[in-house]
Amino acid sequence: MIESQTIALTDFISPCEQNIVSDMDGEKVMLSIRNGKYYNLGTVGGRIWDSLGSTISARQIVDLLMAEYDVERTVCEQHVISFLEHLWKEGLILVNQENSISIHA
Amino acid sequence: NQEKKAWQQPALEVLDV
Repeated sequence: MIESQTIALTDFISPCEQNIVSDMDGEKVMLSIRNGKYYNLGTVGGRIWDSLGSTISARQIVDLLMAEYDVERTVCEQHVISFLEHLWKEGLILVNQENSISIHA
Repeated sequence: NQEKKAWQQPALEVLDV
């Protein structure tokens, strides 16, 4: 389990492969094989998850969402970082921080 | 001019299964 570490906009994010993801009524639902928990990512969270198809920076995720959603950049950045940190804490993503040290959940 | 979707704060919900 990840302790209280923070994600920066320059950090690169990639999905942990030990997840089974399904779309249910427009929302994305996930089963973590690692911890046996089920998660609902919602619609925007599901869009963020889809963007993790390959390694992408948190800033690139914000840019992508800014193009699709009516939201101010500062708000979008705060929400995305908070969401990614929750995913990280649950061990659902890998965060490659800008110092190139890969941290596994 | 493409209409943008309404923003909702993304949240990770842990389902009680």
